[in-house]
Amino acid sequence: MKRLGGIFWGLLFLAVPVLGVATFAIAPSIDVWLPKDVSVHGREIDALFYFILALTGVVFIATELLLFWFIWKYDAAARGDEKATYIQGSHTLEVVWTIVPAATLLFLAIYQMNAWANVKMRRPDMPPTVEVVARQFEWRLRYPGRDGMLGTPDDLHLVNDLHLPVDEDILVQLKSMDVLHSFFLPNLRIKQDAVPGMKIPVWFKATETGSWDIVCAELCGWGHYKMKGRVTFVSRPEFDSWLVRKYAEQEATQPAPEPSGTLVTN
Amino acid sequence: MGSIRSGYVWATLGCVALAPGCGSGRIVGPVADAAAAAALRQQLLGGDKTSEVAAEAAPTGTGWATLQGRFVFAGTPGERAVLVVDKDMEVCSKAGMKLYDQSLRVDPSTKGLADVVLFVRKASRVKEATPPAEPLVFDQKNCEFLSPVFAARVGQPVDVRNSDPIGHNTNIAGTAFNQLIPAGGSTVYKPVAETGMPISVTCNIHPWMKAYAVFRKDGYVAVSAVDGSFSLADLPAGEPLEFQVWHARAAGGLKLDEPELKWNPKGRFQVTLQPDEVKDLGTLEVPAAAIGG
Amino acid sequence: MNSTIRSLAFGLTPAVMLIVGCGPTPPAFFRPNMVEAISPTPEKDSISADQALLPAQQQQVATIMLAMFGTPDDPVCLPETGLDPAKLRLAAGPVRSDIVGRKNGLYREHCVHCHGITGDGLGPTAAFLNPYPRDYRPGVFKYKSTERSDKPTHADLVRILHKGIPGTSMPSFALLSPIEVDALVEYVTYLSIRGETELALMRQFFELDDEDEGKLPETQEFLIAEVLEPIAEKWAVAADAEIEVPEMPTGIELAESIAKGRELFFGDKANCVKCHGVTALGDGQANDYDDWSKNIVKIEARLSGLAKSDADAAERQWAAEFGQVLSGDALKPRTIPPRNLRHGIYRGGRRPLDLYYRIHAGINGAPMPAAKGTVDPEDIWHIVNYVRSLPYGLDGELGADRTMAMRPPTPAGLASTEED
Repeated sequence: MKRLGGIFWGLLFLAVPVLGVATFAIAPSIDVWLPKDVSVHGREIDALFYFILALTGVVFIATELLLFWFIWKYDAAARGDEKATYIQGSHTLEVVWTIVPAATLLFLAIYQMNAWANVKMRRPDMPPTVEVVARQFEWRLRYPGRDGMLGTPDDLHLVNDLHLPVDEDILVQLKSMDVLHSFFLPNLRIKQDAVPGMKIPVWFKATETGSWDIVCAELCGWGHYKMKGRVTFVSRPEFDSWLVRKYAEQEATQPAPEPSGTLVTN
Repeated sequence: MGSIRSGYVWATLGCVALAPGCGSGRIVGPVADAAAAAALRQQLLGGDKTSEVAAEAAPTGTGWATLQGRFVFAGTPGERAVLVVDKDMEVCSKAGMKLYDQSLRVDPSTKGLADVVLFVRKASRVKEATPPAEPLVFDQKNCEFLSPVFAARVGQPVDVRNSDPIGHNTNIAGTAFNQLIPAGGSTVYKPVAETGMPISVTCNIHPWMKAYAVFRKDGYVAVSAVDGSFSLADLPAGEPLEFQVWHARAAGGLKLDEPELKWNPKGRFQVTLQPDEVKDLGTLEVPAAAIGG
Repeated sequence: MNSTIRSLAFGLTPAVMLIVGCGPTPPAFFRPNMVEAISPTPEKDSISADQALLPAQQQQVATIMLAMFGTPDDPVCLPETGLDPAKLRLAAGPVRSDIVGRKNGLYREHCVHCHGITGDGLGPTAAFLNPYPRDYRPGVFKYKSTERSDKPTHADLVRILHKGIPGTSMPSFALLSPIEVDALVEYVTYLSIRGETELALMRQFFELDDEDEGKLPETQEFLIAEVLEPIAEKWAVAADAEIEVPEMPTGIELAESIAKGRELFFGDKANCVKCHGVTALGDGQANDYDDWSKNIVKIEARLSGLAKSDADAAERQWAAEFGQVLSGDALKPRTIPPRNLRHGIYRGGRRPLDLYYRIHAGINGAPMPAAKGTVDPEDIWHIVNYVRSLPYGLDGELGADRTMAMRPPTPAGLASTEED
């Protein structure tokens, strides 16, 4: 009867590594995995992620299996009246399992510095491509216009619909109009808090055309969950003609002729 | 022991604190009768609109008559409220002039009640089919409207003037007219729809300015003069005419105690005129209780 | 043992209360316009108790509304409204999906928490917003391309959903599909027609003759031809009532046009400085209200006047009841400040065309007057050019990026009718 208790708890703890591995094994096939990466620096970041996953995964499985084995092997019910050995601990073991993880973490810290610097420190020397102002609960965009300067009458103002050229360095000037938000582009591995009062540069380079999500990653109020935008990467000529078209719409002095049956779309 | 007791206290307070959240502050409105609604919807979706009971032959007569009378205020009007003037003081408070609320104008000598509006609710026929081409003048000077209440016929041009050296904008509520009128300028407004009861006319630049306007399709509307007298000519004779009476301080209808005229609580009375008759209703006393606010 | 049970009971009760809640949620229902039911006239200055609708009359209005317009979960639109029932079905009801890729209940998902289930601008978040969300029931919309008292066109409302209203809490719904935007616009139109019909019905009680015994005639001729059709007609003709906008004048330099615009801005034809202030910071006037707040201000003034006078018991009871209704069914009125034109934030759209519409027709529901007829179209364009130059400063600074100058304090002696 008592032995069953030991089996139960042992198997319960064994389930943890088994289910853990199983979940990770089937996740990519049910599309629950990292979103598709279309950025240049994303490769490095994803590589780091996988490396840490593998390393910690191995250690995790090892320790969990050990835990199961000890519960199973040293189950009091199976061993009857055998008394546990009293040991003072093992100095060697303590040293080993302190030094090895510390060395691993130190290695990781140094290994990732390059990836971090690429995303957060090595700012390209270029004027901003677009200014993104986070606001409850939308992303207000401002393109510099033909004079290349933000804050002049030829700026293009848009909301939520960010278009950018592909295969080019992009510099975003990130601001917030009210509270903390976070500019999160999952498919470009970019996440940067928008802090009220600060102008924060964010840079990246996309490798593929297409439309991806912009989401807010810092709780900013009741509409935080639906503070979504869309970033679309197109070729440079398409981008330029899109800018021209949008600017003409913004400067319209006559109502746009609407073909019957269709809607005004952006 | 002490900690358990304080635990009870907190738990009780917690339950009590949650309870108020279970109510909503809003008054519950009426509940619709679902069965009646379903039946009504069937009726509205089916059937045709023209199958209604034929209109009873409206009694009509021939000839035209005139109705006149004089409104007199039976109480004592209180002190007129002074309007707060905070803009364009060099024109609107010129030489310390004060502007007063004009909603109750009683002539001190004759006790006549001005600005009482009288109109026919439904007339079967009209003497002049076309509205007069002569524009009705509605002017403003010294930052107040010169006519506290004015009436026009639908289609009759209203010449909205500005005799001040500063600009005004005249906003006739519920209509398409909210227009800038430059200093010394004027704009013509032609009412296109009839109002029920009179509507307010304001200026957004000088928010203390207030007047009332009433537009009627048949043009059978009169506003009592400074001495309280009014006269409505060319009314259709030979049919019962129901009149609506209104005053700015009795917006739900001016209720007088005149049982011979069948004066009803909505401020209406009935009269049937003979052709070529000039009916004088005499002095109509307006009790102080009828004027509210 | 005893103390365990006791502490369990005391501990679990709040938890159970939280989980169970306060009772079953009733299905969504349209709230009747209680403020109008107690004062059913367009002019609220001297409303009195005898005008208020009796409970039987309120119930009749509610029944007629249920018949003509259905419920939030099951909308009904009579053919005379000109609405598309398929689009209404897409937007109405609880959020649910029967077909992959198609979501129903769009209004409840995106709009209800501000605009309310009845479209009355009294959703749960409304009280925290400045400016308040739009109450569709009077049928008044501010930012459109039609003349002042006309309805907005379908394209106008689509545009608002696409662009949002910058400077307010109305977000952009540009990421919804065109079909979803279309359905939402249709539903907003439905709520507006419904609200205006309810107002018209409530105001009709005064027009009844004595023989009607205080009941509205429930006939097609009255309900549809007399009440519904004039309202629906205004929506139908809106698309043809767009303002004709002449081209911007050519042959004049932009700087010259801006200079002309400045003269007009300060002149007494357009009178812009009177409200927008000589620095265009919107500090020329601070004590007017938009139509929605003005009604409540007038009602509150009337109620406080009644409390001071020696009104009889019936009036006082009506006033007390009205005060209760206001506390639940009306938002605290706020003055509407004239726009700060130095900000570069234009609620109705930043195209020169949008500014032309605002100046030409004014803003329906707001104190902004129409310049049409007084200011020539060419001159309106000059004012538009001047206004568009304002955020970029006359001092050489990049206006849109600099902090807003301090507003001067309101001068003493400026009595306001409401405390903020």
